[in-house]
Amino acid sequence: MSADVMIRPGTRVVPDGARRRKRRDPGRVLRLYVPLGMYLVFTLVPFYWMLVFALRPAGSTDPVPWPITFEHFETVWNDIGYAVFFKNSVIVGVWSLLVTTVIAVMGGYALSRYRFRGRGLFMVVLLCTQFIPGAMMLIPLFSIFKSLGLINSLAGLVVADTVFNLPLSIILMSGFISAVPFTVEEAAMVDGCTRFRGFLAIVLPQLRPGLIAVGSFAFIHTWNNFLFALMFVSKQDSFTIPVGLSYTIGEYSADFEALAAGGVVAALPVVCVFAVVQRYLVHGISAGAVKG
Amino acid sequence: MKMKVAWAALAVLAVTATGCGSDSGSGEGSGKTTITFWDNNGGARTPIYQELIKRFEAANPSIHVEYVGVPIASVQQKYDTAIAGGDTPDVGGVTTSYLANLTGQQALEPADEWLAKSSVNGKLATSMLDSVRKTVPDGKLYLVPGTSNMDVVWYLKDKLQQAPDTWDEFFTHADELTKKPDEYGYTIRGGAGSIFQILAEMYSYSGVTEFFDASGRSTVNDPKNVEFLTKMAGLYKKDTPEADVTNDFPKMVAAFGTGKIAMMHHNLGSYNDHVKAHGKDKIGAFALPTGPGGKRTIVANPVDGFAVFKSSEHKDAAWKFVEFLVSHDSNSYWNQQTGQIPANTEAQGDSWVQGLEHLKTAVDTLNDPNTQVVSPPYYLPQFSSITKADTEPLFQKVLLGQMKPQEFLDTLAQKLTDAQAEWKKATGG
Repeated sequence: MSADVMIRPGTRVVPDGARRRKRRDPGRVLRLYVPLGMYLVFTLVPFYWMLVFALRPAGSTDPVPWPITFEHFETVWNDIGYAVFFKNSVIVGVWSLLVTTVIAVMGGYALSRYRFRGRGLFMVVLLCTQFIPGAMMLIPLFSIFKSLGLINSLAGLVVADTVFNLPLSIILMSGFISAVPFTVEEAAMVDGCTRFRGFLAIVLPQLRPGLIAVGSFAFIHTWNNFLFALMFVSKQDSFTIPVGLSYTIGEYSADFEALAAGGVVAALPVVCVFAVVQRYLVHGISAGAVKG
Repeated sequence: MKMKVAWAALAVLAVTATGCGSDSGSGEGSGKTTITFWDNNGGARTPIYQELIKRFEAANPSIHVEYVGVPIASVQQKYDTAIAGGDTPDVGGVTTSYLANLTGQQALEPADEWLAKSSVNGKLATSMLDSVRKTVPDGKLYLVPGTSNMDVVWYLKDKLQQAPDTWDEFFTHADELTKKPDEYGYTIRGGAGSIFQILAEMYSYSGVTEFFDASGRSTVNDPKNVEFLTKMAGLYKKDTPEADVTNDFPKMVAAFGTGKIAMMHHNLGSYNDHVKAHGKDKIGAFALPTGPGGKRTIVANPVDGFAVFKSSEHKDAAWKFVEFLVSHDSNSYWNQQTGQIPANTEAQGDSWVQGLEHLKTAVDTLNDPNTQVVSPPYYLPQFSSITKADTEPLFQKVLLGQMKPQEFLDTLAQKLTDAQAEWKKATGG
């Protein structure tokens, strides 16, 4: 164990030998690993199937993708236009992540540190916004965006997605900020920091799991959003990945190979983001969920 | 250093985001008229339209066409949102399935006057023009037909040597070609889109030629239709895969693509998928078998075409584009690429139509004097919801033996009868 790993108070330290014995316990294998393994297989089969369709030649029915072909990836990237859709998705996803995170930190800080009239009600209203489906807001949002000149622009998508990401993000972030004792900030202010400087120096560094949880939530939600990407954009070169995916199923025909290859391209960034941030995400969401 | 990199990345993002900002109308600065065209089935058809737009712009240098491909599954929602938000295209791909919905919102411009003065006047299939006019209460031409489709039964030639002519022969073949555990004579569409297919089969079997009788009652629960549905539901699990109960068309086409199913009812549109899976020579198609007295009855498929939107600021340029799309060369090119029936009668006579067996079968069937065409009530605003959300789950119950065919068809008939009465009342009919 490296010296810089912090052991949380209350954590039970199990000796290495006991841990090894525990791993070999056949009852534990049956109770834990067999169900987990079965669940893993159940979860991964659709992904495997997607890879099979994406990598095997058209017309093949082999359950193993051999010989491997990348022609379907070429189709989606060049013919269907994923090269452009992917770029647009990255721009919208990253901007939405940044704007959502910054506003969520500000909103979360206010909710956590200030006591004002209607604070509880405001939290409830934030929560209630999560129950309104995006489709219901489509026409009012369309009219507002049109009058603001945000239709047919990626900036419009960033605004729409950010607005829908914010309520949950603010609630989560206020939980994270509440977990940082205010007395530490007060100490910084006593030492001469302004409130903002104190926040930057003391609170922000401790919010890393929260920032990652909120940021990845915003990115993944935006990346997968089909409805806004189609409804607020009527320009071929401004569509995003989910719209491109739906192109592969036509009225009378479906290109399953292209759909699978497109699915792989669409899933890859989300899987990568998740792989990198998952340890923060699990800790982050649970921490943010219980403190308020 | 890290901060510098972060700021640089942010700057790049900002530049790219603003670069993809609101459209100022390409070509406007050069004195060109820009019109927007929404393809109602974006994706596979995109390269076909891009080629046609290239040809159109070469012939009309003062007009620029901006193409937008809308995924078929969301096209109605996209149009509804655009109409409500006042941001419709100049020209849109529209089918008779949702034409009544668009005209009900006063979104489209009638094309009768334009067509009367056009070079394509008299060169578009009368049956398709009639079908479009019947869809709307005022009988005007809000949609200029570009193509139509027809239901056929696709089959694998190595399994079925002789296409059946009657429904009795069809049921016999379905049984004979089933070789358990994993080869089936037929596949039923039990999921999304099931009702239109079963309607086409029932009317083809019964030979009933009208959806409503003189008193306005639906003919869907005609005793011959009930008899057919009982026979067809009897095939489920006996001569078809068990998974058919959730079959939508992609699943059905994919199952047929495995080569384990001998016959599949769909339409001409899936031709390219079958060729991709089996090769051109192994695929055959026959029109739905004949009914009583050897008469063939077909249920008209939706007509697909182009509409000029009322809010267009460039209606003349928009019409010019529509006229170009349904002209002989363009219409022939489009339909040859998609494998569908051209609306332009000159294109129908082109050699490629005769060279494709399934298309020749379709055109011959449509032009056969013995063929009777039943027009579904696409004009009913509730037609889509009745034949989808309201009754598709009930059809699944019929397949699973949880509902009697008679009960199912009575329910469907009552819904259609009520919708027809409501529509007649609303239109003063």
